[in-house]
Amino acid sequence: MNEEKRANGKSHIPKDSFLFEKVVPVALILMGIITLGLILFAAGVLLGIVRF
Amino acid sequence: MTINHILPFLSTAVMLVFVAHVLQRYFVRRQPHFLFWGIGLAMFGAGSFAEAYLALAWNKWVFFAWYLFGAALNAAWIGHGTLYLLVRKKWVHVVTAVLVIGSLFAGYLMLQVMPRLDTAVFTTDKLISQQYGTKVLEAGETAPAGALTVTTTYRGEEVTAVRGILPLGTPVRLTTPFFNIYGLLTLVGGAIYSAYLFWRKRVMPNRVIGNVLIAAGALLIGFASTLTRLGYGEYLYIGELVSAILMYAGFRFAARPQPDEVMQPVPAAAD
Repeated sequence: MNEEKRANGKSHIPKDSFLFEKVVPVALILMGIITLGLILFAAGVLLGIVRF
Repeated sequence: MTINHILPFLSTAVMLVFVAHVLQRYFVRRQPHFLFWGIGLAMFGAGSFAEAYLALAWNKWVFFAWYLFGAALNAAWIGHGTLYLLVRKKWVHVVTAVLVIGSLFAGYLMLQVMPRLDTAVFTTDKLISQQYGTKVLEAGETAPAGALTVTTTYRGEEVTAVRGILPLGTPVRLTTPFFNIYGLLTLVGGAIYSAYLFWRKRVMPNRVIGNVLIAAGALLIGFASTLTRLGYGEYLYIGELVSAILMYAGFRFAARPQPDEVMQPVPAAAD
C-alpha cells in the first residue's frame, strides 16, 4: 500500500510508550467494534428492522 | 436562545477553516483525495450552517441543504477522499462515478419531496434534528405532549405517526443509510487502517495519533446521527462540533512535519 511505502525512513514511535502500547491499540479495536455496530444499525434501517 | 442554537454556528466556523485548509492543499498538490475531502467537509459545513439558520427561521431550500448535504452525503464524500488516498487503482474512478450518480439521484429525490414538505409542523422552539422526520408510533406508544399526529396507511397498515417535515416513507430517507454505510467504512475504516499500518511499522507517531483522532471524530458524528434517527436529536449539534474539532485536530496532527520528514520530504498521507 502507498501508506506502507511512505512509512520507510520516518520518525519512530517511542519505545515503552503507554499511549502507543496500550491506548492506541485498545482505541483502534473499540472504534472498529463501534463502526461495525453503526453499520449494522444502518443495515437494519435499510432492511426495515429499524423503523423510522 | 439555548446552547443548541449556538453550537451549529461554532461547527460552521470550524468547518470553514478546515475546508479552506484542505482545498488550499488541493490547489497546491492537485491530489484528488484533497478535493473529495474538501467537498465532503464543505457539505458538512453547509449542513451545520443550515442547522444554525433553521434554529432562527424557516426556509425550504436551507432545509434541502440540511438534509441532502448534512444528513445524506457528506460522510460518503469525505470517505471517498480517504479511498483515493489509500487505493491507487482504476476501479476507484468507477466508484467515483457511482458516488456522483448516487448523489445526483438523492438530490433528485429530495427535489421530488420539496412540494410535499409538512411546513406546518416547523417551529424554532425545537431543533431541526428533532422535527424533520415523521415517526410511526408503535402499539401502546403515545405521542409527546404537544406533538401533531396523523393517522394514515403505511406499508399496508393503518398507523398513527408524529408528524415531521419530511412525509412518511419519503424515498430520499432510504438513500441515507447507503451513503452513511459507505462513509463509515471508508472514512472511519480508512483512518483506523492507516493508523494501524503506521503503528505496526512503529513509524510516524503523528499520523497514528492524527488518524485515531480523525476516526474518533467521524465515529462521533455517526453515533450522534444514529441517536437522531432513534429520536434523540438533541445530541446531534454537540456531536457535530466535537466531531469537527477532532477531525480538524487529527488532520493538523497528521500533517505536522516530523524531524525526519524535514530532512527528507515525502508526500504526506493525511495532510
